[in-house]
Amino acid sequence: MSKKKISCKEVMDYICDHAGESFDSPKCREIKEHLNECENCKHFFESVDKTISFYKIYNVQIPDEAHKRLLSYLGLNDE
Amino acid sequence: MTETELIKKAQEGDRKALTELVKRYEQTIYNFSFKVCRDREKAEHTMQETFMSMVKSIKQFSGRSKFSTWLYTIVSNHCLMMARAQKNKYHASLDDENSLIDESHIADWKVTPEKVTENNELKKILDEAIEKLPYDYRIVFILRDVEGLSTAETGKIVGLSVPAVKSRLHRARAFLRNELDKKLRNE
Repeated sequence: MSKKKISCKEVMDYICDHAGESFDSPKCREIKEHLNECENCKHFFESVDKTISFYKIYNVQIPDEAHKRLLSYLGLNDE
Repeated sequence: MTETELIKKAQEGDRKALTELVKRYEQTIYNFSFKVCRDREKAEHTMQETFMSMVKSIKQFSGRSKFSTWLYTIVSNHCLMMARAQKNKYHASLDDENSLIDESHIADWKVTPEKVTENNELKKILDEAIEKLPYDYRIVFILRDVEGLSTAETGKIVGLSVPAVKSRLHRARAFLRNELDKKLRNE
């Protein structure tokens, strides 16, 4: 890993800073090149991306009863 | 009716308009509260208090920010109040940023995000990981990454500068990834 111009730690920090954004800064090309040749950083990038996706997809629906209790609590009528 | 018209009517005391606003946002607020509290009962309580605050102070809404941003500010404050009430609960320390990233061995996770809709064990892992995250980090992560608000909007809601939001986000992402990695690296 020492032969690479940019360190894995630097790449991982960059991933944590820019997750969810498009990599279009001047540093981007160097990061992309590193990701192409470093399995470790590629796995790190994918796992950060998956971490965000997990919490995005994990949603809950408001139950009907909770909706009714809310309107009642606020003194509002659904009619 | 547009949202602006509804807000104006609600500010004039129109109960139907107020009800319509509640109905438009109850799912968003309930889901957000759950994502922060990880508990349905607490999520419902936080949602009720959020809308009670909205009803009481809707006349103070100036329209300078988006209505949703204003509601996110209220619900975030109620979540933080709830957090203070359970102050003895253990949360991890995220002070040492360097310890959050260990580049020595990063495993590949086989599990795909879509699995979360059908896999209760995975849901439990996600709940347990985020419950260790201090509330002020949790709220920043959910607003920015999960709800998709901009860094500037997130900062406005939680009263932090853009660099401070970025710093919390960086630590929250690295922390959650590490926690999930303990359970998912062999999945």
